[in-house]
Amino acid sequence: MKAIILAAGEGTHISPFSETRPISMIGIAGRTLLDNTFSLLKNAGINDIFVVVGHKQEKLIERLQEQSHNGLNLHYVEQKRKLGIGDAVMQVKNKISPGEYFLLLYGDTLTAENIFSKVQQSFHSFKCPVASICLPPSNQMFGNVFLNARMEITKIIEKPKGNNLGNYVLSGVFVLPASFFKLLESSGKSMEKALKKVVAGEGLRASMWEDEWLDVVYPWEILTANKMIMDSWQESSIAKNAVLEANVTLQGIVRIEAGAIIKSGAVLEGPCCIGEGSYIGNNSLIRSYTSVGKKCSVGSGVELKNCVVMDNSQIGRLSFVGDSVLGENVDMGAGCMTVNRTVDWKPISVKNGKRKIETGLTKLGAFLGDGVVVGAGNTLQPGTVVAPGKILPACYTVNQK
Amino acid sequence: MCGISGAVGLKNISELLFEGIRNLEYRGYDSCGVALMNKTRLLIKKDIGGVEEFYRKHNVLQLKSKIGIAHTRWATHGKVTRENTHPFTSSDGNFAVVHNGIISNYRPLRDQLQKEGFKFSSDTDTEILSHLLEKFYSRSRNVEKALIKVLNLIEGTFALAFITSYLPEQIFCAKRESPLMLGIGDEIKFVGSDFNAFIDHTKNAVILDDGEYAILSRDTYVVKNLLSKEEISKPIIKIEWDSETSKKGGYPHYMLKEIYEQPQTISNALDLEPSGLDAVVDLFAKSRNSYLLGVGTTFYVAKYAKYVFSQLAQEFFPSISSDEFMALANVNKQSLVFSASQSGETFDTLSALKHAKAKGARTAAVVNVMGSSIARLVDKVVLQGSGPEICVISTKAAMSQMVILTLVAMKLALKKKVITRKTYNLHLKALQELPEIIQGILNERSGFIHRLASKYSKSRNWLYLGRGVYYPIALESALKMKEVAYIHAEGMPGGFLKHGTLAMIDDDVFSIVFVPPPEDKALYESTLHSIEEIRARSGFVLGIHFTQQGKNQDLYSEELILPNVPPLTAPLVQLVIGQLFAYFTATSLKRNIDKPRSLAKSVTVA
Repeated sequence: MKAIILAAGEGTHISPFSETRPISMIGIAGRTLLDNTFSLLKNAGINDIFVVVGHKQEKLIERLQEQSHNGLNLHYVEQKRKLGIGDAVMQVKNKISPGEYFLLLYGDTLTAENIFSKVQQSFHSFKCPVASICLPPSNQMFGNVFLNARMEITKIIEKPKGNNLGNYVLSGVFVLPASFFKLLESSGKSMEKALKKVVAGEGLRASMWEDEWLDVVYPWEILTANKMIMDSWQESSIAKNAVLEANVTLQGIVRIEAGAIIKSGAVLEGPCCIGEGSYIGNNSLIRSYTSVGKKCSVGSGVELKNCVVMDNSQIGRLSFVGDSVLGENVDMGAGCMTVNRTVDWKPISVKNGKRKIETGLTKLGAFLGDGVVVGAGNTLQPGTVVAPGKILPACYTVNQK
Repeated sequence: MCGISGAVGLKNISELLFEGIRNLEYRGYDSCGVALMNKTRLLIKKDIGGVEEFYRKHNVLQLKSKIGIAHTRWATHGKVTRENTHPFTSSDGNFAVVHNGIISNYRPLRDQLQKEGFKFSSDTDTEILSHLLEKFYSRSRNVEKALIKVLNLIEGTFALAFITSYLPEQIFCAKRESPLMLGIGDEIKFVGSDFNAFIDHTKNAVILDDGEYAILSRDTYVVKNLLSKEEISKPIIKIEWDSETSKKGGYPHYMLKEIYEQPQTISNALDLEPSGLDAVVDLFAKSRNSYLLGVGTTFYVAKYAKYVFSQLAQEFFPSISSDEFMALANVNKQSLVFSASQSGETFDTLSALKHAKAKGARTAAVVNVMGSSIARLVDKVVLQGSGPEICVISTKAAMSQMVILTLVAMKLALKKKVITRKTYNLHLKALQELPEIIQGILNERSGFIHRLASKYSKSRNWLYLGRGVYYPIALESALKMKEVAYIHAEGMPGGFLKHGTLAMIDDDVFSIVFVPPPEDKALYESTLHSIEEIRARSGFVLGIHFTQQGKNQDLYSEELILPNVPPLTAPLVQLVIGQLFAYFTATSLKRNIDKPRSLAKSVTVA
């Protein structure tokens, strides 16, 4: 079965990370959301994959080219104008033959277990269009899917009014027939309307997804995603040519990739991962749910806790990064601190652009976009967002000039 | 877009091939065909139409073969006719080919072959393949070499497979751009456009890449590169697939499936032949003393029935746990022993019934499994028709039994003239509306229950409280929690609490209270008293109630609000909540839902 991944969206809520990449290229637990999707697809026996690209497509295309030898037939299709999900789906119309069924999935959702395998199995038994449904993790209401006893979806409400609905929602994975393109065309390319037409016509069966599921919308959900993947890990792995000096302590599930160097005195509390060629300095403390990307440098005496550090970033000595996300090529000077709670333990809000969003979290650090430079000695307020490429001057208490 | 399926094995593969090709119909179909092998003779069957129709029409399953290839076609070149259907054979009948894709240079190749005297029977691009194979084979007398020649000659996209009478135990296949996969079983090998062709038989797959061809026989397979002609060692992918999952439809577990089937099983119960129920009603009416029996969940069904008989028919029938029956009951010819059992094989209930029968008592039962020991033993049996209940934990069968016993109580009340026909009809209407109400609960409340269950899944102690008929509902809901989530849960009458148990209330003891609708005034108010007793000691209370949001705001620590329902069916609606709460707690704790520890589907031991 062919799979179509929608990865063209801009994902403005997840700024500052979406400004330089599509959401599916966000790295968590040592690899991108897209890599996670690919490996699940492969294990579900699917290898013919079309990715609809648009926003910041260069990175994604480059990644596809790197991956395509990996037993997967990867193709990309460009969505030239930002005209929404329905339009993105239409881009692959000529890749699907009449009468054929295909797997459609949203690139910004994440599961640790294999949702694609589950949906295909449901399709295998129903032999008609299938939508995966799940119970959303938070109290936010995403919508409501109504079922009858035969697992047929009878009604889809995208944005319920009032508070009496709380139920299964669409989880962004479908098996649909080629005729769906016609329905999309006749619905003004509205995904919602086209799905409702499937419900009313051929019928749409539900495949219930019981395991964890996440729609990555806000920057702090990168941490949730990271935790979700790390929680699914069963075993540690340390690459043959990684260097662990004497007196390095490993606890729990730890993944260390090729060429990484862990200096003496470092303590790694799993689950955590250190990417290819990264350097972890002497006496540093890497606490659970920390993901350090490729070619990063973590100075001596640094403490990292529940954070995602993407590729090629540096954290200077004696810094603390907790409950935070650092993009690629971030340069954090020595002695920096991401303060991760307020004195009164009140939930932290994040100001992203003009909007202030309540996260409901009492512990939250900073979100630094790609290429941000944080000068030495800076202390960042909880919930700080720094736009890509921004340079924060160093903070001196003694200034000779 | 077409589907290819092929198999070579030790035994007859005819049926496997049928399943394989049927599972590929999703790739589009307008016609289909198979090629099988009778010793060294090829057998071809093909026709327009769907797979099932084709197989039926041509009795294809009658044909036995240890090797075969099949094809479901979606026309690209040539019309939908029998002639254009795959497989295609060579003029000498020694090669049969199926193909998916488009051979772009087929025109010149076809013209050339026609000049050389090959006769074409179709308009398709595929037919050149069988003729080319024949042509090159006649030169080299080597099937593999002939295949390589053909592959080097054709342009375009393809996934192809063929069998030949020259090597009647091998399948040859090749791929460029169109998908093709091998399925690797013990003593059987498959080829398919995707794994749907063989997933029911093996999860081990090898995905062919462009420019590769493979030769399969029942014991072994090789994959080679077309350019280098060297063997390639390909990784075997284990496809994540649980064959049970397909049977569960879209549900993750049988337990949830069966909870969701309850609207249907209730409807089935209401549609039961009235004469069967009337016979049981007669037995209740003419017996001097009647007992209600069950064990485990069915004991709570019996307890529920005890309240319903009392409320509706003004009759008191004691409910007894089957295993305690012999210690308690004095039965004689004037007695009726009525029992409930899902499997109809429950040892304790069976023993009790045998004992009663030996004493000359009348016996009756509601049972889900036809022909079971209990069904055969008793004088009158009601077969509840709930369909197979596969999850070890009973949900839909118990629900259906409760509905049936409510009906029996209503009929008895009518017979005794305790209620009027009008009241009876009102009650009947309430029961008839129940399936839709439960469907609504499942559709609009599951998410709330799920969130509450995951939030409190770490709680180790639960008190389940209910008064009146809500007491057996509390007991049954608590039993679900114990069975599936392995969490201590104790069902108790609301009024019992203040006589000692209240001392246990602290931060570690959580309570669930099944609150009746406010119309049931006395029961409602006394239930609120129980809640206040717990709240006064700062205990946690999850209230499952029918009152509006915001009313009694401080009463509950958490609440789950249900739509208005008639008092008759309110307890049954609450039972659904109890089932779901246990289910979601168990999934949060990653329990083995359908086969929990220490429980068997039918307990047939003492």
